[in-house]
Amino acid sequence: MSDEISNGAEQMAPRRYMARPKFCAFCAEKTLVIDYKQSDFLKKFITDDGKIRPRRQTGTCAKHQRELARAIKHARHIAILPYAGDIWFDGPRPHRTYTTPERQS
Amino acid sequence: MRQYELVLILQPDLDEASFNAALDKVKGWISEGEGTIEKVDIWGKRKLAYPIRKQTEGQYALLTVQMEPSFASTLEGNLRLLEPLMRFLVKLVE
Repeated sequence: MSDEISNGAEQMAPRRYMARPKFCAFCAEKTLVIDYKQSDFLKKFITDDGKIRPRRQTGTCAKHQRELARAIKHARHIAILPYAGDIWFDGPRPHRTYTTPERQS
Repeated sequence: MRQYELVLILQPDLDEASFNAALDKVKGWISEGEGTIEKVDIWGKRKLAYPIRKQTEGQYALLTVQMEPSFASTLEGNLRLLEPLMRFLVKLVE
């Protein structure tokens, strides 16, 4: 069992470079407002698992990332966005990209 | 006085009368606390992103309110005890 996991880690594909915008979308477009009620817009900034996407992927600046994180958390509280992926989706789920290796005893 | 946004999620199985009754109760608390209601936006029934109280849907209402910051905590205390209310959010508008 533990062998499989360590082998799996070695065989993992090398990290692919993800193209990202070089500028913060909110700094470039001043009219864009971060609103916790706009679920479709906020969905661009969360992963399929429902996690907040890191700045390195979205290109958002630190200031706007903080605002964005706050908005996403508010949206989760009022059940506009999920805490853990789309839970109503039934069907094959994509593989998790990362799993914590089991502890060796 | 500052502007607040109040999101309410009520039980989906409420009929219109009890929905309005609950909403009026909230409005009553706000006017008692010397707040003014600027706008009431009823989103209607919406699917929840995850179940709350074993419900998959909720009836949403958004109130835009002017009130004293000191009153916000009192209002939250009242909302917590409102039975048909599944979830709420009181947010300051910057």
